[in-house]
Amino acid sequence: MIRIENEAWDVMVAHARDTYPNECCGAMIGSTDGGGQKLVKTAVVLENAFRGEQGARYELRSEDLLKAEAEARRLGMELIGIFHSHPDCDAYFSKTDLENSCPWYSFVVLSIQKGEFHHANSFLPDADQTRAEPEELQYPR
Amino acid sequence: MAKILIPTPLRQFVEKQDSVEVSGATVGELLSGLTEKYQDLRRHLFNDQGKLRSFVNVYVNDEDIRYLGKDATPVKEGDTVTIVPSIAGGSHGS
Repeated sequence: MIRIENEAWDVMVAHARDTYPNECCGAMIGSTDGGGQKLVKTAVVLENAFRGEQGARYELRSEDLLKAEAEARRLGMELIGIFHSHPDCDAYFSKTDLENSCPWYSFVVLSIQKGEFHHANSFLPDADQTRAEPEELQYPR
Repeated sequence: MAKILIPTPLRQFVEKQDSVEVSGATVGELLSGLTEKYQDLRRHLFNDQGKLRSFVNVYVNDEDIRYLGKDATPVKEGDTVTIVPSIAGGSHGS
């Protein structure tokens, strides 16, 4: 289960709205209890580095991920997840999401419909990038 | 010896260290040494065919080894090797 605190959630939704109709992306920082319970306290906005039409694609730069990890260390927390938006479609984990994922993190997808937040889901992809399990997600409503 | 920086989710497999010093002349040798010492780490970095998983990027002193010599990229005493996942996606291709 992954729970997102208000402040982090506000950053994620604002970023997804600001970048609409393009996809946004970012990192989620917080803590884990080692038993599958994750708490997101801070969200870091990252630039969508995909070279091309960004309405249905995103890409993170490795150096940006390293910076997010450094920020997590500075805060005494951990980088525990990645978020991105799906403009005008549901918050599913697409084939593109799966084939470019990493099993080390939770992946939260925000559905943005007509510029406004609609719903979100979280996924845990496997190491072979062949399937992603839904992860219980709690966010402020 | 070169220093390998370990990403947070993998530290549980290396006795919670954030970096590990390993000997080796190339990136391939370093990663082999690392995963021989910490065997539970191996499946997170390599697939069943022994190839580095597609989402694992390796940098030597900020240089991506894909644009150097890949596994054969030489490593010198004091170099820093960083393991970073590659992440992308999007609603395209649902």
